[in-house]
Amino acid sequence: MAASLKRFIPAAVRAKADTWLFQKRGVDPGETLLTQRRVFILPSGAGMGFAALILILLIGSINYSLGLGFALTFTMGTCAMVDIYMTYKNMAHLHLRPGRAQPVFAGEVAQFELHLVNRTKLDRYALWVDFMEAGEARHVVDVAAGATSAVVLSAPSTERGWLAAPRIRLSTRFPLGLLRAWSYWQPDLNALVYPFPEENGPPLPISGVESADGHGHAGHDDFAGIRSYQPGDPMRHMAWRQIARLDPADGGQLVTKHFEGGAVDELVLDFNAMPSIMNLELRLSRMTRWVLDAEQRALPYAFRIGATDFEASIGEAHQAACLRALALHGLKEAP
Amino acid sequence: MSGASVRAPRASLVRLAAQLPRDKADTLLLLGAALMVLAPHAGHLPLWVSSLCALTLLWRTVATVRGTRMPSAFLLLPLSMAAMAGVFMSYRTLFGRDAGVAMLVLLVAFKMLEMHAKRDLFVVVFLSFFLVLTNFFYSQSILTALMMVASIIALLTAQLSFQFTGSVPPLGRRLWMGARVFLLAAPLALVLFFLFPRIQGPLWGMPSDAQGGRTGLSNSMAPGNMSNLAQSDEPVFQVRFLDPVPPKPQLYWRGLVMGDFDGRTWTQLRRRRLPDNVSLTARGEPIRYELTLEPSSNSWLFALDMPDRLPVLSGNSVGVSSELEMGATLPLSKRVRYELSSHVDYSLDDGDQLNERARWLALPQGFNPRTLETGAQIAQMSADPAARANAVLGMFTKLPFSYTLQPPLLGRDSVDEFLFKTRAGFCEHFASAFVVLMRAADVPARVVIGYQGGELNPIDGFLMVRQSEAHAWAEIWIAGRGWLRVDPTAAVAPERVQRGLSSALAQNAPAFAGLGGLLDFGGERNALLEQLRFRIGAINNGWNQWVLNYTPDRQSGFLDSLKLSLMHWRNLAILAAIGAALLLWRAIRQRRETDPVDALYSALCRRMSQLGMARAADEGPNAYAARLAQGTLAQDKLAAIERFLTLYSAHKYSARPPASGLASTLKSLLNNI
Repeated sequence: MAASLKRFIPAAVRAKADTWLFQKRGVDPGETLLTQRRVFILPSGAGMGFAALILILLIGSINYSLGLGFALTFTMGTCAMVDIYMTYKNMAHLHLRPGRAQPVFAGEVAQFELHLVNRTKLDRYALWVDFMEAGEARHVVDVAAGATSAVVLSAPSTERGWLAAPRIRLSTRFPLGLLRAWSYWQPDLNALVYPFPEENGPPLPISGVESADGHGHAGHDDFAGIRSYQPGDPMRHMAWRQIARLDPADGGQLVTKHFEGGAVDELVLDFNAMPSIMNLELRLSRMTRWVLDAEQRALPYAFRIGATDFEASIGEAHQAACLRALALHGLKEAP
Repeated sequence: MSGASVRAPRASLVRLAAQLPRDKADTLLLLGAALMVLAPHAGHLPLWVSSLCALTLLWRTVATVRGTRMPSAFLLLPLSMAAMAGVFMSYRTLFGRDAGVAMLVLLVAFKMLEMHAKRDLFVVVFLSFFLVLTNFFYSQSILTALMMVASIIALLTAQLSFQFTGSVPPLGRRLWMGARVFLLAAPLALVLFFLFPRIQGPLWGMPSDAQGGRTGLSNSMAPGNMSNLAQSDEPVFQVRFLDPVPPKPQLYWRGLVMGDFDGRTWTQLRRRRLPDNVSLTARGEPIRYELTLEPSSNSWLFALDMPDRLPVLSGNSVGVSSELEMGATLPLSKRVRYELSSHVDYSLDDGDQLNERARWLALPQGFNPRTLETGAQIAQMSADPAARANAVLGMFTKLPFSYTLQPPLLGRDSVDEFLFKTRAGFCEHFASAFVVLMRAADVPARVVIGYQGGELNPIDGFLMVRQSEAHAWAEIWIAGRGWLRVDPTAAVAPERVQRGLSSALAQNAPAFAGLGGLLDFGGERNALLEQLRFRIGAINNGWNQWVLNYTPDRQSGFLDSLKLSLMHWRNLAILAAIGAALLLWRAIRQRRETDPVDALYSALCRRMSQLGMARAADEGPNAYAARLAQGTLAQDKLAAIERFLTLYSAHKYSARPPASGLASTLKSLLNNI
């Protein structure tokens, strides 16, 4: 019904109502308090039924001059009023805090973590939380007095860059279900979306760039992967990343990077060196794939894109920095 | 425990979770609440309806507990159709109040078996709320009101119980939540109850059974009428005297005047338009009172003999006959209240001639020959009508007449039989016989029926008149003195008039001691019990006055008095004081709710300022501590202060959560300073 009504309201009026009435403005920075001005309340379908019930009770009481009937009618009416207050209290003065949003690859579902902080002495029950565009809310949480509840909402990502969490609607009908209180929240929460890693792309471009010690030479079979540690292996060849992944206590063992030819060939992933006739997104996509491949094979890689120039390295942080640079290439740095 | 017995409940739980819209406990709670609402109806519903409801609820309970399937619509639909047909068979209608209530009760019970969605739960709860109202058709006692409160709380609890989505508090806490909603709602509901503009119903034609059958005086008097009434404890009206209450023997509440006699039954004279030539002379101070008349199917108004003016009823006009009977134009199917003033000392028609004298002397031909003969003898004995009346009264006292609630049946010549054969009767026998004798003795006479006496409640000062106080007495006309009230019953059983029906019966009819003892329940024998009875009576009366009978008239009266009392400065001052106390209490509570550590810090600062070292507004705890160290404080005190401020500053400005027991440490430090 609401949707069909909306069609009759001009878009300009609706936009104005959204900003003025529903306070649908920009991003709410940091922690947000649901003040009185931000909580809206209207009768639910059951509430309409209840209003009809009260009317019938009133008519019955008048018609039959039932003194107790009047008492019942007014008690029910004021119970509904108490419900207005309680439903409002169940939502108002709740603190909302954006949580974390893990980076995802384009096309994956981004997870937004949100915290509902209840600093009052009142237990909050049955708070429905979801993105506004989701229609019916899919997540419901309770927030005990003085406690915090987390809810994770997911939204699909389509393109690289920053993905802002969509506007969120919180609603509740607690305690009697006669009213629906709701509020909007635009959390200051962005998920970084990496480019989609190219599938079936070319192998890693292990180029002939000289390594620092000058002993390397061209070829793509220098790095032979990893082998188990043998006493005497140099510490700098230890495959720390692989060792870290498997705790020796769990059956893992110390491993060493093994190089044919006795020297390290440096892998350089240089975006600027890619053929510029290629589609930009494809190039980013391919770089992403290479970063992931290099990490998987534990090959230290140098990384260059635009002005960004990372020394050869390996590891979570290095990968994250590279992927971030790819995701934000040509886009603004901050969300 | 065997494996099977463990598996079985788990399996049923799984099924339960799949079928029930809410968990078991919620459904059982709703069943309990519905039972609370349905149970009071069992008193007036046909047995089969109550049984069917009980069965349905039991079915639902078993289905819930065991997690079995709910009956399908193919079973429920014919069942409900059959129930509907049953209601029609029982009441011969589907409309009207009683049939409607029966259908509603069945509907709620059947809906229990057909709950699938949250919407259905709301439907059941809302229907139950409506059933609470329908219960008031049958009873509006204080007990019903208490039951209403309990039902509301139970229904609210059931309603809020199925709003939970995650953790569900235990039943006790949910009950408290429901009760809290009610307790928060009640004060405002009370205000609305008294202030919401009342409309006098009915809004449309009432179903014929809206007013239950009520006993009361009828417009004719035959032997046996009054004694039937004497066994009814139903209230007729209650009176609040604004002036001192007259003694009981003067409390004659005039109702109807009977002038036509057919040998057995007295009826009112056929009405004719008479010129308004009633002459009423009142002497002494009037007695002012307020009379609340219970609803009846009649339109008669009662007044203390003799009212000096007509009462005013809203929406109804009041007329008076030449015999000074008062009646409203419309039947008094609602409780009405009117103010009146009466004179117990009066004379009526005290001229030398009586209008239509013959009508007041008429007697049917061929009935009660012995009585007529006796009347003629009395007429010859004395020329003075008063002496003749005394002779008749003397006859009642001297001869072995007795006063009884269960007089023997009388035949065609009822007065003859009563006077010369049975000699046992109730007030209507005595009044009837007396009037016939007086007429036979050529004294104009008539029967007056109404009520005599009443029970004064010392707690609230209301005089309650019940059907059992129905009474018949006589009036005779004497030239120059007018119509005089003569109560022949008083000649036989003076206690009846002096103290009331129950004591009169106890003394005069030992054969009916059992009944007398019952009626004597509140007698003087047990003062404590009587006190209790009066107290209950006062509560009931207050209930009637303020809850059941809160009519538009009463409301406007109440609002006027409220306005008046609000205008009084003292009452306003009291209200203001209450408001101030509430604000103060709130402030104290808020203060208590602030952080105890902050409160202790403020206490320290206050203490130091008393010592002349107040903290500067821009001084933090560390700077303050540094400044205090320069001062001239005792070494041990200074140490305590420094430790206090260090702890406070560490608590205030560190990221760590507050250490437990910090407040008590600070408090003990503060005590050392």
